[in-house]
Amino acid sequence: MGFLAPWALAGLAAVGLPVWLHLLRKHKSTPLPFSSLMFFERRTQSSIKHRRLQYLLLFALRAAVVALLALAFARPFIESHLGGLTGGPKLTVLAIDNSFSMRQGNRLARAKREAAEIASQFHTGDKLQVLAFNSQVHVMGDSAAAIQAIVPTDARSSYAELARALRSIAQSARVPVEAHLFSDMQKSSMPPNFADLRLPAGVRLVIHAAVDRRDGNFAVESVNAPRRVYGPGKARVQATIAGYATSAATRHVTLVLNGREVAAQNVDVPAGGRASAEFLSVELPFGFTRGEVRIDSADNLPEDDRFFFSVERSEARHVLFVHQGNNPRDALYFRTALQATEESAYDLDAVPVEQTANLTPQKYAFVVLSDVASLPQSFESALRTYVHGGGSLLVALGRESALANRVPVGDEPVNGTRYFSRDGDRFQTAAWLDEGHPSIQNARHWDDVKFYQAVNINPAGSLVAARLGDETPLLIEKRLGEGRVLIFASTFDNISNDFPLHASFVPFVEHTANYLSHQEEGPPSYMVGAYLDLRQAQERGAAVEVLDPHGERALTLEEATRAQNIPLAMAGFYDVKRPNGQHDLVAVNVDGRESDLDVIAPETLALWRNTAQGPSDAGVPAHSGEDAGAAKPLEFWWYLLIAVLVLAVAESLLGNRHLTVGSEG
Amino acid sequence: MLQRFLDPATLASISGLDLVAKTVVDGFIAGLHRSPDYGFSQEFAEYRAYTPGDDLRHVDWNVFARSERVYLKRYRGETNTQLLVLLDTSASMGFGSHPVNKLDYARFLAASLCYLAHAQRDAAGLIIFDENVVNYVAPSTRQGQLFRLLHAIEKAEPGSRTDFAKPFVHLLDFARRRGLVVVISDYYERPEEIIKTVEPLRFRGNDLILFHVLDPQEIAPQFREPVLLTDMENNSTLEVSPEYARSEYRRKIDAHVQALRDQAKGAGLDYFLMDTSRPLDEGLREYLAVRQGRM
Repeated sequence: MGFLAPWALAGLAAVGLPVWLHLLRKHKSTPLPFSSLMFFERRTQSSIKHRRLQYLLLFALRAAVVALLALAFARPFIESHLGGLTGGPKLTVLAIDNSFSMRQGNRLARAKREAAEIASQFHTGDKLQVLAFNSQVHVMGDSAAAIQAIVPTDARSSYAELARALRSIAQSARVPVEAHLFSDMQKSSMPPNFADLRLPAGVRLVIHAAVDRRDGNFAVESVNAPRRVYGPGKARVQATIAGYATSAATRHVTLVLNGREVAAQNVDVPAGGRASAEFLSVELPFGFTRGEVRIDSADNLPEDDRFFFSVERSEARHVLFVHQGNNPRDALYFRTALQATEESAYDLDAVPVEQTANLTPQKYAFVVLSDVASLPQSFESALRTYVHGGGSLLVALGRESALANRVPVGDEPVNGTRYFSRDGDRFQTAAWLDEGHPSIQNARHWDDVKFYQAVNINPAGSLVAARLGDETPLLIEKRLGEGRVLIFASTFDNISNDFPLHASFVPFVEHTANYLSHQEEGPPSYMVGAYLDLRQAQERGAAVEVLDPHGERALTLEEATRAQNIPLAMAGFYDVKRPNGQHDLVAVNVDGRESDLDVIAPETLALWRNTAQGPSDAGVPAHSGEDAGAAKPLEFWWYLLIAVLVLAVAESLLGNRHLTVGSEG
Repeated sequence: MLQRFLDPATLASISGLDLVAKTVVDGFIAGLHRSPDYGFSQEFAEYRAYTPGDDLRHVDWNVFARSERVYLKRYRGETNTQLLVLLDTSASMGFGSHPVNKLDYARFLAASLCYLAHAQRDAAGLIIFDENVVNYVAPSTRQGQLFRLLHAIEKAEPGSRTDFAKPFVHLLDFARRRGLVVVISDYYERPEEIIKTVEPLRFRGNDLILFHVLDPQEIAPQFREPVLLTDMENNSTLEVSPEYARSEYRRKIDAHVQALRDQAKGAGLDYFLMDTSRPLDEGLREYLAVRQGRM
C-alpha cells in the first residue's frame, strides 16, 4: 500500500480540532440571572460531567471523518496483480480476423478452429466475448457458438480498430482482459502510427498467427477505364498487374465485358513488380457494361485475380441554347467549347428566342438562355415547370436581358448594367472565385479574363460562386424546387468580355454542362468499405433501390426512403436506382493492400503485446502465452470518501440529538 | 385586525403606556364584537314598571305612546364596581428571556385592566408592592384617575423582596370597599403560603383574581449545556445541568402551578397562568368574566 499524494497526510493534523473541542477546551460557565432558584437543587452531577469525555461517540465520529478525509486526499493505493494466474474473474476476448486476405487457403477455418479450442477450455465464472474484425469490429456474441457465425468478407483488416475496441472493452469490463488474436498478421494492416496499437494495462494479448511464412500472390491492382463514353466512341482499358513476393512470371490477362471475354493478352510481370496490360478500342454496347479484368495467377488467393469496372455508353445529350436571333456569336463559342472535350457528350441545339414557343424543355439535358430580352410566356412557364421538376438552366445576362429588369425564370431584379470602358485598362477581372463550386473547380486561369460589361443583380439568398473586382456578382446559383438555375452576369459572345477566347472557357463550359446535366464524373470503381452517396439532401421521401453483387436488396424499405448513403461491403457490381430516376452501376473492388500477404515481424508483435505489459520483452515469441502479471496500482480513495459520507451523516444525526436537548415541551 | 396588537412583542415597541392600554383594549373589544357575554353599561337588560321617584329620563316614551303605560328601560351596566390592581414589582419580576420581561408584561396587563375599568366607569385603583407597598393610587372615578394609574404603573421598577406575605399585611387596609381585586405576581412562594396571604382579601367580599405571570424560560427552561444561575432576589448561585432543567425542574414548576391553581380554586379565587409570550387578551377575558359574575 502506498500514497500517490502523501503530502495530503499533513491534513491528519486537523484531527487535533475535535480533540481540542472535546478534550482540551475549558468549560466556562457564565452566570445567568434567573428569577428564582426556588425549584433548583444543588447537585454535583452537572459540574463534573462536562469535564469528562461525555460525547465520546461524537468525538470518535468527528475524528474519524477528518482522518479519513485526509487519507482520501492522499490517494492511497494497493498493488494489484492482474493476469490469468491471479485466479480472479477475467474477460476472454476471441478476436478473429475475417478480412479478405483470410480467404487464402484455409486461414479463416484454421483461425475459427483454434478459437473454438480456446473457448472449450473456458473456466466457469469467466466471461467470453467473440469479435470479428476487418476494417471494423463486430461483436458476434458471448458464447463459443458465435465463432461459427463468422464468415469471410471483402474488407481489409485494421489492427488499429481492433486495439481501439480492446481499449474500450478493458475500460468498461473492470476485470483483467485476455485477448486472443487470430489473424494472418498482415503487415499492410498495421496503422501508420504504432501508438494506435496501444493496449491498456490489464489487457493481455495472445497472438495466434494463422500463417508462419509469406506467400507469393498475383493480383490485378487497378484498372483505368472511362466512366462514360458517348456516341460511337470506343473505350481504352488499362490494367495493372502486381506480384507480391513473386518471382518473374508471364500472366495471361483477359478483358471480360458483360460476362464475355472480348480480349486477352500476356504480360511479363517482373519479380515482385508490376506490369500493365492495355486494351485499345474496346467496343462497348449502349447502356451500362460490367467490365472485368482477370488474370490466371494460380496462387492461393484467386479472389484478387480480377478487377471490376463499369462503363456507360450513351448517345450525346442535347442542350437547348436559346439566343437572340441577331447574335449567333454566343452559340458559336458555346458549341465550340462544348464539343472541344475528349468525349463529345453534348449536342447543342441553338434556337432563336422567337422560335421557342412550342419547345418542350424536358427532353434536353439542360437549357441555356443567352442574353435574351424576353421569352414567350408559354415557354417561360414550361421552363419553370422544368426547373421545379429537377431540370437545370444556365442564364447569361447581357444588354438585351438587362432591358427586361428581371432575370427570366429566376425573377431576380436587375439593378442595372455596368459598363467598363474598353479603353486602356479599364475593365474588371474575376477577383473572387469559389473553387469549391463544380463550374469553377480546376479552372484557375480566370485572372486574365477581361469583363467589360456585367449586369448587376441582387443575389438575395442565392449562392455567389464568383465576383468581379467591384464586388459585382458574376456567377450565381439558385435552387428552384428540385432544379437549379445558374446565372452568369455577362455573355458568351466575346463582346461583353473576352472569356470565350481564354483557355479557362472550355473547362468552365464542360464542368457547368456536367453539373447542370447531373453527369458529374465519378470513379470507375470503388473500394470495399467506401460509402456511396444515394441522394441529395432535398430528395427525401423517394425510395432508392440498391441491389448488391449477389442480386439482393441491400436496403430495407425504411432505409430505402431515408438512407443518404450506403457502405459498399463486398466486391462486385452494385445496381443503384436513385430517386431522380438516374440509374447507376457501381463497381466495387477489394482494397489492393489485402493482396500483399507480407506478415508483421515477430519483434513488432512483441512490442505490440508489451504495450499493455510495461517493459519490453521482445524476445518472447508470439505464441508464448506466459503472462507476466502486470502490477497495477489500484486506488481506493473513493471508498474512503463513501465512508466519510456515511460518518458525516451519522455525526450530523448524533450532533443534532445533543443540540436539541431543550426543545422538548 | 387589531388583535395583532395584543402580542407582547408588538406592545413593547409602543412607547406610551396609555397608548399600550388603549391598543390592547380596543383591539380586544374589536375581537369580541360578536361575544354575547360582553356588555357595557349601556346594554339593555329589561323593562320595569315606573314607580314614583324614578328618573323620568329612563322612561321609554315609545312604549308609552303605544300602550299609555309608563315603563323604564333597564340597562345591565348601571351598577359600577371597584377594581383594585395589586402589581408585584419584586426583583424576580424583572426576568425575561425575550424583549418583554415579566414586569413589562404585568404592567401592560395592569394598564389594560385599568383602562378597561375606566371605560366602564368603574373605580380603579392600584397598589404597587415588592417587599413593601411602593405606590398606592386609591380607587376613584374622578377625572384624571386613569392618567394617575398609568403614571404609577409606568414608574414601577423591579425592587427586591425576600418575603411575599410581608406587604399583604398592609394591603388589607387599602381594600376596604367591596370590589374586584387583581393580584399580578410571579408567586415565588409556597402555594399554601400564597393562598393564606391573599385569602383575607376575599373575606371582605371581594372577588379575587390571581394572575400568575411566568416567562417561557421559567416554565420550560432550555439549556444546551450546564449553566450557572444567579437568583435575582437573593443573588445566590447554582450550577444547573440541562438534564435537571428539562426533567426535575419541569416537574417541580408544574407541580407548583397545579398546586396554586387547586388551592386558589379551593379558596374561591380565580387563578390564571399568564405566559409572557402569549397575547394579553386572555387576561382581559378572565377579568371580564369575573366582573360579569358580579353584575
